[in-house]
Amino acid sequence: MNDPVVDATSSTPDGPGPSPSQDAAGHPGALLRVENVSKVYGSGHTAVTALDDATMSVDQGEFVALLGPSGSGKTTLISIIGGLLSASSGSVHIGNVDVTTLGGKERTKFRAERVGFVFQSANLVPFLTARENLLYVATLVKTPKKAASQRADQLLEELGLAGRAKNLPEQLSGGERQRVAIGRALMNDPDLVLVDEPTAALDTALGRQVVQLLRREIKDRGKTGIMVTHDLRMVEYTDRVFEILDGHLTHVESPSALGH
Amino acid sequence: MSLAGSEIRRAKLRFGLLTGAVALLVFLVLLLSTLSGALVGALIGALQGLRADGIVYADFARDNIAASRLDPGSAEAVAAVPGVAAASAVGTFTTAAQIEGASADVQIFGFVPGAPGAPSGLSSGRLPESPGEVAVDGAGQIGDTITLDPAGTELTIVGLLRGAQFNALPTLYTPLETYDEAAAATNPGLPFVPVNAVAFDVADGADAEAVAQAITDAVPGVKGYTLDTAVALIPGIESITQSFGILVGLTFVIGIVVIGFFFLILTVQKLKPFTLLRAIGTSTGRLAATVAIQITIVVLVASAIALALTLLAVQGLNTGIPVNLDPGLIGGTIVAVWIFSLIAGLLSIRRIARIDPASAVGAR
Ligand SMILES: Nc1ncnc2c1ncn2[C@@H]1O[C@H](COP(=O)(O)OP(=O)(O)OP(=O)(O)O)[C@@H](O)[C@H]1O
Ligand SMILES: [Mg+2]
Repeated sequence: MNDPVVDATSSTPDGPGPSPSQDAAGHPGALLRVENVSKVYGSGHTAVTALDDATMSVDQGEFVALLGPSGSGKTTLISIIGGLLSASSGSVHIGNVDVTTLGGKERTKFRAERVGFVFQSANLVPFLTARENLLYVATLVKTPKKAASQRADQLLEELGLAGRAKNLPEQLSGGERQRVAIGRALMNDPDLVLVDEPTAALDTALGRQVVQLLRREIKDRGKTGIMVTHDLRMVEYTDRVFEILDGHLTHVESPSALGH
Repeated sequence: MSLAGSEIRRAKLRFGLLTGAVALLVFLVLLLSTLSGALVGALIGALQGLRADGIVYADFARDNIAASRLDPGSAEAVAAVPGVAAASAVGTFTTAAQIEGASADVQIFGFVPGAPGAPSGLSSGRLPESPGEVAVDGAGQIGDTITLDPAGTELTIVGLLRGAQFNALPTLYTPLETYDEAAAATNPGLPFVPVNAVAFDVADGADAEAVAQAITDAVPGVKGYTLDTAVALIPGIESITQSFGILVGLTFVIGIVVIGFFFLILTVQKLKPFTLLRAIGTSTGRLAATVAIQITIVVLVASAIALALTLLAVQGLNTGIPVNLDPGLIGGTIVAVWIFSLIAGLLSIRRIARIDPASAVGAR
């Protein structure tokens, strides 16, 4: 476990860029502050503690990895951060919004406006083309049509998908689909990009390509990103690494310490 | 960008089949209600369309105009009752006739032109005014001559009526004098020609119900009815309308339930994309609206197809009775199908509301 005590004097000012020496508990100015979050599924006899007193903070502009074996609680953690799941205890601040106190409608709005998700699978709406998948999320925050079109085209271009804009997801390869999902996640200019095992369905070369692209998009735009992965080789594209084991979250000081 | 429209465009076959099925159901409801309306109209349209506030039968007639016999002088006795503005005799019987060279059964009504008891539903020409003229529903054209058998009375058609039949027979309306002649010639040896009923209008502001009761009380040997009561009491009509009501109602209910289930199936099939849409910040309300819009599109397109099928069927089927499409009935049916389909769509919307957006994450 990390020291949950916030040491304000040792904190560096906010700003993009990695700060690997930063303690996981972070400082008051961090974009994302996860404080003592626990999650228990079910109750009584069948209760499963998926997350146990997790604390972390991520600065604006950082791209961090969340590593851990299957069933360790990675998806649970980013679901709580992204306002998809409520925590059993603890708080999650994004900027000055406490996600854990939002009501159902506010959470839906929060997800549309401030979070970009890339899920492991079934990422795209099957009856919308690549371009429409991007344009759709713009309608959730009432972006003017013209601005949305321009942004969608620009993102598709950057992601190397300009020629595939009019294809339905079923007509795209796995890597292309994940790239469309990245575009979709960035479409509404979110504060936070949450990515759950983006490379699980891809081979290594393609996986690297997608993660590189993800890093570039996040860095170029000054976004904050968290990527769940089980693949140690993807860690080199991230600024910092957190690890979960059996619901216990730790900040890994240097990737070489990842013995397991 | 509309989810509803995009999905329909990308799943044309699925929505096409669904629309076809809904169209057949709406067609069945439209055809059944049109035919039952036509049948009831053909049986009792003459009474329904009688221009009068109320009608008087002989008290022994057991509410049946055909069984009623009144002295022609009864009209004056009825007219004398306080609250009655005007009253005049109405006669009717069934006879054979030569129409366009063929022999047929017809129902003939005698009425006093311009007085209570005239028919309504004129579709072309005019109502008869002088002896020998006739307005018809269901036989011949304006200018044709109809010869009554065995009376030999010749009648010239001056007007065509709609929804004015009785007993599902071609029905003729002629001035009372012509009617009397024909009746006397059909029944030789009668001392006088009885009438079947007296139609009356009530004075301004008078209550038809109360006046009908006053007539029953004041004139010996008669019973007064408001027109609506008289129509409702026609023997057998209640069971016919009830049976058809059950048939149409049941078809309607089955149709709605099937439509509701269709959309529930479509929704359940789409749970994965719907969960994703919820996860990326779509409100339940917007997804519900998507389903409602799709139901509306399917029902409207299906209704247009059903309407076309009904038109074809009404023209193509030989039912032996005049069948006319009633725009009110059709519009009402379509609106009812639409509204009840939306209500049935609540099944889907309930399912959508139960979606847990968290289940979109990971490989779960
Ligand atoms: N809805 C649920 N109900 C009950 N238990 C759950 C639920 N979701 C997850 N769990 C349990 O919580 C624990 C953590 O699950 P989680 O999905 O967060 O793991 P993960 O690290 O994402 O695993 P993976 O790498 O396999 O995706 C697991 O033991 C899992 O069985
Ligand atoms: Mg997971």
